[in-house]
Amino acid sequence: MSYLEYNVKYVPAGIRKLLYVDWAVVLLIIAAASMGFLMLYSISGGRAHVWMEPQLKRFGLGLVAMLVVAMVPIWFWRNMAALAYCVSLVLLIAVEFVGQTNMGAQRWLNLGFIELQPSELMKVALVMFLAAYYDWLPLGKTSHPFWVLLPVVFILTPTALVLGQPDLGTAALILAAGGAMMFVAGVHWAYFATVIGAAAGGIYAVLASRGTEWQILLDYQYRRIDTFLDPAADPLGAGYNIAQAKIALGSGGWTGRGFMQGTQSRLNFIPEKHTDFIFTTLAEEFGFLGSFALLALYGLIMFFCIASALTQKDRFAALVTLGVAINFFLYFAINMAMVMGLVPVVGVPLPLVSYGGTAMMVLLLSFGLMQSAHVHRPR
Amino acid sequence: MTRRPLRPLARILRAREEGGDPELIEAENIRLRHEEMRDKARLRAEGRLLMLGVLFFSAVLVIGGRMAVIAATEVEAPRAAMISDPIIGHRAEIVDRNGRVLAMNIDTHAVYAQPPQMIDPARAARELARIFPELSEERLLRDFTGERRFVWVRRQVSPEQLQAVHDIGDPGLLFGPREMRLYPNGALAAHILGGASYGREGVNSAEVIGVAGVERFFEDTLRDPDRTAPLVLSLDTTVQAAMEEVLQGGMSLMNAKGASAIIMDVHTGEILAMASLPDFDPNNRPRVPTTGDQADSPLFNRALQGVYELGSVFKIFPVAQALELGLVDPYTQIDTRGPMTWGRFRIRDFRNYGPSLSVEDVFIRSSNIGTARIALQIGIPRQRAFLESLGFLEPTSIEMIEAPTGAPLLPRNWSELSLLTISYGHGLSSSPLHLAEGYAAMANGGTRVTATLLRQDQPQRGERIISEAVSRRINQMMRDVVTRGTASLGEVRGYEVGGKTGTADKPRAAGGGYYRDKVIATFAGVFPASDPQYVFVVTLDEPVETSGTEPRRTAGWTAVPVAAEMVRRTAPLLGLRPQVEVARLDGVTLSGN
Repeated sequence: MSYLEYNVKYVPAGIRKLLYVDWAVVLLIIAAASMGFLMLYSISGGRAHVWMEPQLKRFGLGLVAMLVVAMVPIWFWRNMAALAYCVSLVLLIAVEFVGQTNMGAQRWLNLGFIELQPSELMKVALVMFLAAYYDWLPLGKTSHPFWVLLPVVFILTPTALVLGQPDLGTAALILAAGGAMMFVAGVHWAYFATVIGAAAGGIYAVLASRGTEWQILLDYQYRRIDTFLDPAADPLGAGYNIAQAKIALGSGGWTGRGFMQGTQSRLNFIPEKHTDFIFTTLAEEFGFLGSFALLALYGLIMFFCIASALTQKDRFAALVTLGVAINFFLYFAINMAMVMGLVPVVGVPLPLVSYGGTAMMVLLLSFGLMQSAHVHRPR
Repeated sequence: MTRRPLRPLARILRAREEGGDPELIEAENIRLRHEEMRDKARLRAEGRLLMLGVLFFSAVLVIGGRMAVIAATEVEAPRAAMISDPIIGHRAEIVDRNGRVLAMNIDTHAVYAQPPQMIDPARAARELARIFPELSEERLLRDFTGERRFVWVRRQVSPEQLQAVHDIGDPGLLFGPREMRLYPNGALAAHILGGASYGREGVNSAEVIGVAGVERFFEDTLRDPDRTAPLVLSLDTTVQAAMEEVLQGGMSLMNAKGASAIIMDVHTGEILAMASLPDFDPNNRPRVPTTGDQADSPLFNRALQGVYELGSVFKIFPVAQALELGLVDPYTQIDTRGPMTWGRFRIRDFRNYGPSLSVEDVFIRSSNIGTARIALQIGIPRQRAFLESLGFLEPTSIEMIEAPTGAPLLPRNWSELSLLTISYGHGLSSSPLHLAEGYAAMANGGTRVTATLLRQDQPQRGERIISEAVSRRINQMMRDVVTRGTASLGEVRGYEVGGKTGTADKPRAAGGGYYRDKVIATFAGVFPASDPQYVFVVTLDEPVETSGTEPRRTAGWTAVPVAAEMVRRTAPLLGLRPQVEVARLDGVTLSGN
């Protein structure tokens, strides 16, 4: 039984709920998305209908959907968490068999009216489910080995499915988000230390064994790891995106070349320029100023989410708000780090800015959850 | 951890004594314990949250810092061009001496398929096979349904075909822009231009590379990205077209299986026109045949690669050399009694010329025996040196990739017999182009000229081979061959054609000996003979002229009329005006009164 349902003294009702939405976050989201619209307009060479208009429509739709989700009491969503997780899992399995293949990965599910990417749904469903799980679990059992193993299974199952699509980026996001949820839920730190230590040891063993008699992987697998870790070694193949993106970033300088003046992206040097690598255009046209402004917007969204989570007394509401924030953080941090060559290239879009349907909708829906928690918090 | 009991006995007993409710005490304690737990959990949660917040903050700092570092670094100019070595489709145009286009690039598209994106591979394969009849439907379907992720369908398509493929409407069928080589004149100058194909092919462009002829020879020049000017050849399109037309007609009229012709400027060495029949369309270059004789393929350039024993046309060289050396003068009588025997070998003439002929008549009437006797006076070393200085011992250096394949065939052992046979054009095989170079040197005042396909601005100053006086004399003799010798059908009024015929028996392919009924008929000459500007060579392969009572194969009946027609057609195009010939004053003494 939720703390909220029985302890909320006053819940705004009806249209008045709109007054209690965290409008700061909504405005920040609109600001970030607007930078995306500008960039899409610029990349298509000033033709709005190519990418900007569809994106605008989807964003408008998503914004409405977000507010609708926010109007529904947060305890309803808690009760839906298990169902959402199960449905997402079923869709993920379904996509293995009937999914559409695109660019070498089987990720899309054609539902007739919409092309669905179940792995995106899973990101938010997993966060909801883990929040509900820790809300349900008596506090004292949080670190009990069995009750730790259970959520690990919940996390690894969809991760493995997504990895098989194959979509390394989303799999990593799901894994990281799940782990972070367990961390903020208060699972004993020793578990994390053990897992991180074991992973580090394993990686070290694999790398150290290279060239010795007990080499763990085959030679070509090592070469792939090399390119993955250091794309610069292969500037025409795996490292092409990165090499070109770095040129774009560098040529932007402090203030950029100006709106619609970028050459790297306009001249098609950069692949995926309107999706995963859209940040390069921003950096080239608006320079450090523009890119740092976007980063600041993202940072502020994070800040307001954490602030909202701190005012929550209900465990589910707090955990869901944090989960949404974590997901969001992972998105933009990994994307920006990837474009700037800090981490290997994995397919992760820049939230609210990159062109793409499912990711944008799911992100806005998850912010709807956060808003719902915010509206229905105890006062 | 010691826990406070929920029902401390002392307090309960006391409560009971005071008449209170012991359950309240328990409830109170439970509440306290829960609050304690919640506080602890909250503390831990907030601690975790703090750690997370610090992580977020530091990540944002790292990313922001990285942005600043990148923004602060000096921009390196886009090195993409150097790094990626992109596919450059650029290829300069080729034009003739007057700027008419011989080869150009136009935009076209390639069609390729990405089978994973195909909606209906079976339909796509069926429709493609309908649009491109040369493609096999089964093969396409196999490619589209197999493991392959990328399939080239066609390297280049016409706009109509492009539209038709587009209308199939399959998203897995894609078009890649690229350039293609177009030869707007079709088969004109096919052997010289060669043809082009694709080198490295990308989805967005493809390298256009030359496969033969000047396209291949000037590959680097044409593909130089900095070059915008077209490559200017020495050819004259109009002369080339007229020549090819005449040659084609002559070849069928004379029932020859092949023919070649060259027109070359005697002073600059520029090739104005050069053709070889049968020919081909470089826009659709045929494959190299894998069976049969390569020399019968349309790809074979007879003018350059065809090395033949050219026969009597060679007689010009011993006669000129003997005059140059002062061994004879034009009126020296030469013993022409035949047959002349040399060991087991007998040299005969086409007909019996009587006991002797003057040197001039040996040349004009084409006596093998007379020429052989002149060659005996010259001797082996001097003959060899003379032919070497004219370039007969090496492949020509013309700007075509095939030039080295036109290497002359020399006698293995340059014996005295070789000395005799070479003098009248047997025992040494060379290409018609060699012959054109040799005749140019004889006619232009006596200096060596090398053939070139590039437009020249000034005459070549080659090594002197014979004196101007001898050259003048030789030109007169060539003129006499037409006016009273073996090439009487070669007369073209106003253009003073001079030349020398040659009819050589073709050697048998297998084993020694010669065919009696297969000849190479050649007419090489100059015009106008009084001041030669152009040298020409016409060669017919196995001609038979059948208008008479018996088949005639000699050059006088076959190659000569074709050459005459060729001069009649091309001389005006070359800008020559018909001249009224001044009567020769030989043997006439002008008196004072």
